[in-house]
Amino acid sequence: MASWARGVRAVLLDVSGVLYDSGGPEGGAAIPGSVEAVNRIRQSGLKLRFCTNESQATRSQFVHKLQRFDFSISEEEVTAPGPAAKKMMQERGLRPHLLVHDDLLPEFDSIDKSEPNCVVIGDAAENFSYQNVNKAFNVLIGLEKPVLISLGKGRYYKETDGLKIDVGAYMKALEYACDITAEVVGKPSQNFFMSAVNEMGVKPDEAVMIGDDVVNDIGGAQRCGIRAVLVRTGKYRPSDENHPQVKADGYVDNLAQAVDILLASGVAGH
Amino acid sequence: MAARRAIKAVLVDLSGTLHIEDSAIPGAQEALKRLRSAPLAIRFVTNTTKESKKTLLERLKKLQFEISEDEIFTSLTAARNLVEQKSVRPMLLVHDSALPDFEGIASDSPNAVLIGLAPEHFNYQTMNKAFRLVLDGAPIIAIHKARYYNRKDGLALGPGPFVTALEYATDTKATVVGKPEKTFFLEALRSTGYSPEEAVMIGDDSRDDIGGAQKTGMLGILVRTGKYREGDEQKIEPAPHLTCASFPEAVDHILKDLL
Repeated sequence: MASWARGVRAVLLDVSGVLYDSGGPEGGAAIPGSVEAVNRIRQSGLKLRFCTNESQATRSQFVHKLQRFDFSISEEEVTAPGPAAKKMMQERGLRPHLLVHDDLLPEFDSIDKSEPNCVVIGDAAENFSYQNVNKAFNVLIGLEKPVLISLGKGRYYKETDGLKIDVGAYMKALEYACDITAEVVGKPSQNFFMSAVNEMGVKPDEAVMIGDDVVNDIGGAQRCGIRAVLVRTGKYRPSDENHPQVKADGYVDNLAQAVDILLASGVAGH
Repeated sequence: MAARRAIKAVLVDLSGTLHIEDSAIPGAQEALKRLRSAPLAIRFVTNTTKESKKTLLERLKKLQFEISEDEIFTSLTAARNLVEQKSVRPMLLVHDSALPDFEGIASDSPNAVLIGLAPEHFNYQTMNKAFRLVLDGAPIIAIHKARYYNRKDGLALGPGPFVTALEYATDTKATVVGKPEKTFFLEALRSTGYSPEEAVMIGDDSRDDIGGAQKTGMLGILVRTGKYREGDEQKIEPAPHLTCASFPEAVDHILKDLL
């Protein structure tokens, strides 16, 4: 029995690369066995929450897409950077210039965007044109105290047609250009993991994070005292198992195998 | 105050120091003539990657600067030298007008990524192509890593941020050949036969011109033209030898105090 499964009461699931691979005309494809794996977690009585850095769509659209792939998931179960950033801007009176994917824009419909005093950068994909990045740069450099809010800071992710550069690369580009440090909303920020754990009503050491990103999922969760298991799907590369800084608590071929191990270890809710 | 030195060589930045796009900095041509009247070796060192040496020279002549081709040392030349040294086939992310400087370099089935200032290539698709090459082991050669530059319509991102993006995405480091790399300044100076302690660099970029040159032992004079922004002189340690209004004032200082 794998020791990482012992005493687990709650499961945090990364979505892209664990439940499905994004991209392509259908918006992606479920990873084999994952739909059933989510259902088996639910039947076991384990608490469950989805913890994603997805910023190519609003949380509501994102959940609908996953439901179309037959995943059992609802909006309130998803911790995503868009809504978290929105809350943060409301609390601090920030008016964003948005460098995000078109499909994420509705998430910020109710936020005042006149005379921006910060830049919010998400996984803008095709919107990462020179013109758009340059515009964000000019907003930042024109501010007395430039504030850059980044929705996650991933290096890359996997789509059905290959690996793609993620928001972190462009966050670094703007940090370098303006000589500033971004505030990251999303994994691997501790607030983000802790809000997910708190909403499940468990302690960090009672939860396990399952993800495909060795730095943001595994390293990030571990820093909060949450166990973390790396799946060999999504953006996984064999070299991830020899990462110089991060060692996962467990390695599994896919989510289905992780759930096999969890259930075999006798964990269950009450 | 630093001990007085006898300066024998002057390195001069081009864009932002002698001219901004197609306009000369007022008085710069006259000042260059005055500088030439002193016993000084002069080199023009530039990170302008959009233009081949030839294009660069034509523009400077049109602006009535007296400059000859062998006085110009560009980061494109430095980049080409490195490509030949490493015998790699680069994916060329450079502006079309820079291509003549890479004539004869094979770039089919690339196994390296060479990046200059090429806004037209800095779209998501091309960046992804470059990203995948680097992830498969291709080295990144950056002509320079300037953060931004001054365009007529305002500040615009240089290649530095995009190089940084690729470095971060792939967890690798680029080899930088242009300013502020030490080797760049030393190479530029080599043909003059003088040592860094006998040279002064004039430029508008606090880090890349002044900081870089001063690290080799040269003096640095920062001019408040081009991309200069208030407070730039405080961004480097040690501070510039001198910060002054523009190139003509820098020349006056050299002629009066540094010979």
